[in-house]
Amino acid sequence: MGSAVPLQLHSIGRGAMRLSISRAYLAAPHRVRPSRSICSSSSKPRIPLFLRPPNYSATLTDLQKWHDWAKTLSSSVGSSFVDADNGPDSALLHRELKWLVEDAVEDKSISSELRTNSEQNHEHNLRNVRLKVGIEELYRLWKQRIHERRPFQYIVGCEHWRDLILSVEGVLIPRPETEVLVDLVAEVVSDNEALREGFWVDLGTGSGAIAIAICRVLEGRGRVIATDLSPTALTVAGYNVQRYGLQELIELRQGSWYKPLRDVVGKLSGIISNPPYIPSDNIVGLQAEVGKHEPRVALDGGTNGMDELIHLCDEAAVMLKPGGFFAFETNGEDQSKYLVKYVEDNHRGRLCDLKIVSDFAGIPRFITGFLNEPL
Amino acid sequence: MATTNMLWKSAKILSIPVPIASNGRWGRIGCTFRIHQFEGSFFSNSLRSNCSSSSAISVWKGKEYLILSDEELMRQCEMDTFKASGPGGQHRNKRESAVRLKHIPTGITAQAVEDRSQHKNRASALARLRAQLALKVRNPVNLEDYSPPPELLQILPLKSTIRPPGCGPQIGPNNSKFLPGMQSLLDLIYTLDGSISDTAKYIGLTTGAVSRLILSDDSLRMAVNDIRISKGMKPLK
Repeated sequence: MGSAVPLQLHSIGRGAMRLSISRAYLAAPHRVRPSRSICSSSSKPRIPLFLRPPNYSATLTDLQKWHDWAKTLSSSVGSSFVDADNGPDSALLHRELKWLVEDAVEDKSISSELRTNSEQNHEHNLRNVRLKVGIEELYRLWKQRIHERRPFQYIVGCEHWRDLILSVEGVLIPRPETEVLVDLVAEVVSDNEALREGFWVDLGTGSGAIAIAICRVLEGRGRVIATDLSPTALTVAGYNVQRYGLQELIELRQGSWYKPLRDVVGKLSGIISNPPYIPSDNIVGLQAEVGKHEPRVALDGGTNGMDELIHLCDEAAVMLKPGGFFAFETNGEDQSKYLVKYVEDNHRGRLCDLKIVSDFAGIPRFITGFLNEPL
Repeated sequence: MATTNMLWKSAKILSIPVPIASNGRWGRIGCTFRIHQFEGSFFSNSLRSNCSSSSAISVWKGKEYLILSDEELMRQCEMDTFKASGPGGQHRNKRESAVRLKHIPTGITAQAVEDRSQHKNRASALARLRAQLALKVRNPVNLEDYSPPPELLQILPLKSTIRPPGCGPQIGPNNSKFLPGMQSLLDLIYTLDGSISDTAKYIGLTTGAVSRLILSDDSLRMAVNDIRISKGMKPLK
């Protein structure tokens, strides 16, 4: 991969994204002081597969051969991953294979040709197909997917989340459940337009998913500060923030939870986080894609999984401005109920309107609340 | 896509109070824990045949559904997502982002599975639901002093004798404004017991031109043929 190519692509991606948020841009206050710039730090994550230039090619026959091989490999999995650790079954792997093809080929129509291909037209099959990755690499990638259980999102270098496509290299892959956190913010700011302004924070931002989605919900009127302990996460988040052209509105700061936020104590309009919440004991039994590949620091929430969540709740009472909103993702019903009781017992009269919100699957997943406004 | 349809019809609401051990099931938004047990491999299906519900439903408020905003329409729906057993959230990486919407007032469902994000699948399911509402919900038409509503005039070819000059260009099936026009056309055809020649008189076209309009969109053609078959007529080809 030449170094000039990623740069060029980078700017194409940014240009396209800027168009879609031009409205937010026009409304942007531009009163942002330059941040401690982590965005522009030297190392960049690998470009997601779908954004790479089509510098490779293969005959349709060879691509078909690879596809047949990959399909057979996926089929051989059957339900063995499901039985072992509730991993993906063959049907799911077939869908992922389809998505890999979509990301790897230049001409999207190839994807359907591969599935319906018959060998009737020999000449046709000798035609070259332009690829974003070499055919040997495709073999290697699919072996990694099946044999090493490497998450599909790491294979293609991105995750589709809400209306975003995010680089996720080396960070927690944002889950569909977490999409709801953004809806919760959208609801709150449409009920109370004043909350659209001021500072919102995304603690432990990882890929920057929540920060970027919230920033778009705020329509350029508020600013988002995203924190993370991990330099890798900040690099990836910085890449994603730039791709969506939001570097003027999202500031990335390195540090643990609220630590890098001393200058905004008591000033926050909103605090959002999907902190690690899996009890340490459960880490070993996790689906291999998660347990063996995703960063443990983004998953492990200590003995009962709530070390970080409790800290987040305690400090929310100090960090929010009156009327400010918080929403945190939890492990499920037990943690949500525990946290509501904990906040009621320890922050009575300060944090109020506590709610447990369920995810799409009906599992009580989020706790939300506000800092009381003085009478 | 017979297999797809059969799979869908095999999904039933079971009143089982606790999650069942199973590779896949539909979970419902909210805390009711009613579960749609799913038999067979849902993910092997394709994008055609995305909606169920069979016959035309007579509901007075049919036209109103189509003018609701996405949020308003969503509030009339139950949303199911396909999910695996287990605690979900950070525990799982399965990219199961399928969404199924059930429109409670009519019982019409629409689903989307093809996109990698739940958010986008919800948007496509909602768009499909709108199309289904236009196709399946029939509104009464008063033939006594019938004058075609503006949304119907917009989808008629320019040669229609009742089309006023200021009506703009003809709107085709790819435009979202086609749906309300299609609904009005189906309402008229339904009221006229599936007769294309009678319909032609009411909208100022030749019988052939009405047929061509109907055949220009697959879902419209199928809806018209459902009406014609139910009235004992031959389907349009």
